[in-house]
Amino acid sequence: MDWSAQRRWEDVKEGDDVPAVSFPLTVYRLVVEAGANRDFNAIHHNSEVARASGAPEMYANTGFLLGMWERAIREFAGLDGAVRRISGFRMRRFNTVGQTVVVRGTVAAKRREGDEALVDLELWSEVGGEVTVGPGTVTVALPERRA
Amino acid sequence: MSWEDAWQPVIDAVGRDFGEGEVIEGADAVDASALRRFLEPLELDCPLHHDADVAREHGYSGVVAPFSSYFTFVAPPVWRPGGPSAFVSDERNALPEGIAARRFATGLEPPCSGYFAADFELELFEPVVLGDRLSRTGLRLVKCTPKETSVGRGAFMTWEWEVRNQRSELVACFRNTMYLYNPG
Repeated sequence: MDWSAQRRWEDVKEGDDVPAVSFPLTVYRLVVEAGANRDFNAIHHNSEVARASGAPEMYANTGFLLGMWERAIREFAGLDGAVRRISGFRMRRFNTVGQTVVVRGTVAAKRREGDEALVDLELWSEVGGEVTVGPGTVTVALPERRA
Repeated sequence: MSWEDAWQPVIDAVGRDFGEGEVIEGADAVDASALRRFLEPLELDCPLHHDADVAREHGYSGVVAPFSSYFTFVAPPVWRPGGPSAFVSDERNALPEGIAARRFATGLEPPCSGYFAADFELELFEPVVLGDRLSRTGLRLVKCTPKETSVGRGAFMTWEWEVRNQRSELVACFRNTMYLYNPG
């Protein structure tokens, strides 16, 4: 990732893709994530407990899934972009160990609000082409060329 | 009484703030080691989150915490010095004592053995930087909808709460929905 490149509001047009980011889920990664974000609910790192709860396997926790969106947003918005709001972060399906979560998105709208130049991104996570989280709307403030 | 009727006391409590003014402080301040560990499973290499010089060049007062880490920094400890023992059972999948009290719940729900997060909305205000200490305030129940799903019977409960820093500045507003249920 080249962090010296900054996307500006004028560079963006509706329909543009948000570059996809992939997250293969292994037991190791889920355990590292649990330790990092301190969500120790056993459904996220213990297959037996996850299955007893009705899930097919241990699955990624909310903080991890939101972090996946944050990485995709940050890689799109660059160092001078700023997230203002996220809505529609709906976890529709389990993102289980042994699967790869891919975060994708598009630019849904461009607008101004006060002094800010904003873009609304439609973002979602998918596994095997099936949406597992979202689609939600992420509002990001981007710098302008004249700024 | 049907299983749905058992949720009526919770439905009747919609609109109530179950936080009752309590400020729940996170166990840890935002520190460099915790941030490094947070970035690791995400492979999030944005320098705002690990390089103070870059963060300052871009207008922040220090290394910036990812917004997805706010849950972590408002989480209370599993155990604290001087507190009661948390690990009192050697049953393989036993939870630490007191962990249930940390869930989003009213105390009016019928007994439920399972729960998971279903939906989130958040609005971000002040950035969080290294050294900040976050706390959670407010716990308003805004919706309760009993529903049978593929994993069991229970209810979707939607909550609103805020995250503030050590200066009482509003960092973020959250609205999250949890599904409490009994598998089957």
